[in-house]
Amino acid sequence: MSLIEMINVNRQYGSGRTLVEALHPTNFSLNSGEFIGIYGPSGSGKTTFLTILGLLQSPTQGKILVNGKDTTKMNSRTKTDLRFDQFGFVLQASNLIPFLTVKEQFKLVDKLSTSKKEKMNRNTLLHLLDLQSVVNNYPSNLSGGERQRAAIARALYNNPNIILADEPTASLDSSRAQQVVEFLTQIAHESQKGVIMITHDTRLLAATDHVYEMRDGYLNQQR
Amino acid sequence: MFLAIKEILHNKTRYLLVIFTVFLISYMVFFLTSLAVGLARQNRTAVDQWDAKTVVVSSYANKSLTVSSIPEAKYQKYLTDKDVAPVGQMTVVSQLRNSSNKINTNVFGVDWNDYLSPKLTEGRLPQTNREVVVDDSLKNDDIKLGSQIKINGSDDYYKVVGLTKDNSFFTIPIIFTNMKTFRTLKYGSSQVKNISALVVRNDKKITETGLTQITIKDLINHIPGYTAQVMVFSFMIIAMIVITFLIIGIFMYIITIQKISLYGVMRAQGIRTSKIIESLFYQILILTAAGAALALIFMAITQLFLPKTVPFYSDWLAYLVLTLAIMVMAVLGGSLSIQRVLKIDPLSAIEGE
Repeated sequence: MSLIEMINVNRQYGSGRTLVEALHPTNFSLNSGEFIGIYGPSGSGKTTFLTILGLLQSPTQGKILVNGKDTTKMNSRTKTDLRFDQFGFVLQASNLIPFLTVKEQFKLVDKLSTSKKEKMNRNTLLHLLDLQSVVNNYPSNLSGGERQRAAIARALYNNPNIILADEPTASLDSSRAQQVVEFLTQIAHESQKGVIMITHDTRLLAATDHVYEMRDGYLNQQR
Repeated sequence: MFLAIKEILHNKTRYLLVIFTVFLISYMVFFLTSLAVGLARQNRTAVDQWDAKTVVVSSYANKSLTVSSIPEAKYQKYLTDKDVAPVGQMTVVSQLRNSSNKINTNVFGVDWNDYLSPKLTEGRLPQTNREVVVDDSLKNDDIKLGSQIKINGSDDYYKVVGLTKDNSFFTIPIIFTNMKTFRTLKYGSSQVKNISALVVRNDKKITETGLTQITIKDLINHIPGYTAQVMVFSFMIIAMIVITFLIIGIFMYIITIQKISLYGVMRAQGIRTSKIIESLFYQILILTAAGAALALIFMAITQLFLPKTVPFYSDWLAYLVLTLAIMVMAVLGGSLSIQRVLKIDPLSAIEGE
């Protein structure tokens, strides 16, 4: 069973002459242990695709199945809980809470978590992402790279099955970007997570299992 | 609570400003309340000490003790009841021997043996017609045990032999005399047996032509100016509390708008809207409680430095009720932001808006 599956999903904005089809009818699935890379020009519909997949917006038509469960009829609260439990978001803009230190970002996850699911080892995450020396820093006191790595650590800490990363290496230098991609690959393959990474940097796609191109709202598998 | 406290500690300046605003409003509310209660008490403490249910006054007096006068024929028969006591009232000007300072005072003529006799804090009850008991607030005018005072410019001096506490009427402290002295002062002769009112401590109904039986509440409300004073202060206090609602509402709304993108991130991370709203209200409660607590501390300090002549009374129960009212208003003000929080779109976080 796929971790997440899109069945004939499309997304339209506006109506009549102002109708825009941001995402044309799409079928897509992500399995455990799979690392998928998506690239495409700005405005091609990548973020729309990712946000529909992440249950942040509803499709105009079609179904999203998470662990086989149809999310179309779920209410907002159930979707929010599912997002907290199953998804890890690594956003283009840092998704850290500005008034919490790196350590406290993890503490918040502990406090909000209601499931008994085992979390990832905090120290391992901090070590892997080279964040031990900045655990007591606020996001404003971190460099761009440290912020992004802390955001990745925070997204992974809740041990989500699905990791959605939107330009996770945008603010990193090439060697650090390569490290992050290697880490995501490791997470996908060793921990059997499903990882989707959107990127502009096609060099990073080499590490992924499958590559898709998004263009004008159409998702096409390249590899 | 975790998010609320962490955010307040991280943005100290912003939230100190909110605390300071709440402090100023709370302090004003408490200060006005203390003045209102102090003034109201000075109007009525003597009446409150009677612990009575009704008062019988002349019908023409329009429920006012100060103008009522009841002839002996109308009241004598009721005095067999130990729960019915006569009182005489007149407003006078007193003067301490060897002093030119003139002091507005009330004279209350009472029978030392009935329940209207004042409770003494110092000294003893008078034994002669020239001995009196006075309210201890007259100490501010140097009148104390053993002082000699003259009343309404007469040549006679009255010796203070006892002090009592919280005995003022119409904001003026009271000099207690016996009935004979009262009648001499008011009517020029003790042969005129008139009194101002009958004070009734039980449920006895007195129906007598020319007399009206009124409740203590009615009597107090007909103290000249009392209702107007209470109303003015009440409206000022209510206005301040409503201002709390608006100020906290506006503050929290602005802060909420500033945090929309943050809330978007939190929603995207799967943090429930209810958690965000919970955090917002914890913040409001913490900020309001801190502001009000600071105001209470300053009230206690203020009290130490206020002149004793200011009608100021610290009513801690009233402060507690007002603190709760301010907190309720702050929470209501904060609820103006709920709609904004509910509309937060996590997409804004993803799209970096």
